[in-house]
Amino acid sequence: MNNIENQRSRFIRPCTRVWIALLVLTGITYGIGRMELGGAQIVMLVLVITFIKGEMVAGFFMGLRKTSLLWRAIMASWLVIVGGGIAIAYLVGLK
Amino acid sequence: MSTQSLTLDKHQPGTPPGDMAIWLFIYAELLAFGVFFLSYAFARAHNVELFNESQQHLNRESGAINTVVLITSSYFVVRAVAAIREGLSRQCAHWLSAAIGLGGVFLVIKLFEFHAKFSAGISLSTNTFYMFYLSLTIFHFMHVILGMVILAAVMLKARRGGYTAEHHTGVETGASYWHMVDLLWIILFPLVYVIR
Repeated sequence: MNNIENQRSRFIRPCTRVWIALLVLTGITYGIGRMELGGAQIVMLVLVITFIKGEMVAGFFMGLRKTSLLWRAIMASWLVIVGGGIAIAYLVGLK
Repeated sequence: MSTQSLTLDKHQPGTPPGDMAIWLFIYAELLAFGVFFLSYAFARAHNVELFNESQQHLNRESGAINTVVLITSSYFVVRAVAAIREGLSRQCAHWLSAAIGLGGVFLVIKLFEFHAKFSAGISLSTNTFYMFYLSLTIFHFMHVILGMVILAAVMLKARRGGYTAEHHTGVETGASYWHMVDLLWIILFPLVYVIR
């Protein structure tokens, strides 16, 4: 019984922590939006936060952190390409 | 021995949870949305003032609340998978029901947002920003509906005791799709509602 409870808590605790972290990061993103902050540095911060959130969902919620490097690399590459593309487009728009 | 190995859900070590077909589907969806996101970003680069001005009229609070709603529903789905891995099919069904309920909350909030825009006379042809905003969010909206249908099918089977600790690929497959829907919104929210 204790073993089952230990197993359960080991599984639940990380995902609950991830969920709380995702909510906190969402709050920061919303705060930036509410204050209508802009500029390259702010946008890069928003994109880094978004990348971290994406990696958390992919790794902990979708379970990719326990998969081979190839599966993780595909997802990380997608996040980097999309996030990097958005960053480049933003910088182009500043000119 | 051979019968048991045939009936148990096979999961290759190092591969993601759920059916492999759903992962091909997920990566195809990510590719499509990725192109969509980048199209928005580069269209914005050539119409910065228009995009910034139009963005002011979006309901940022609705977008943020919907982010919290989807993240939380994703968390509930994680709990559903954890429950079925322990053979707790009733708990699994309860977590899935809660996740579907939050999916419904997302749709209702989004419908209010769409209603406000359409009532103001805004449509796909209003300007480039709204063309992207409406098509991106409606496209995602349809994915939420599909995700809810998948989760509902899984939930009904779980309620009937159709999954066990050993046989639950269906739960993991539905869960993976739902997390993808969440992941897409996690990018869509800052891109459309926040970045300026």
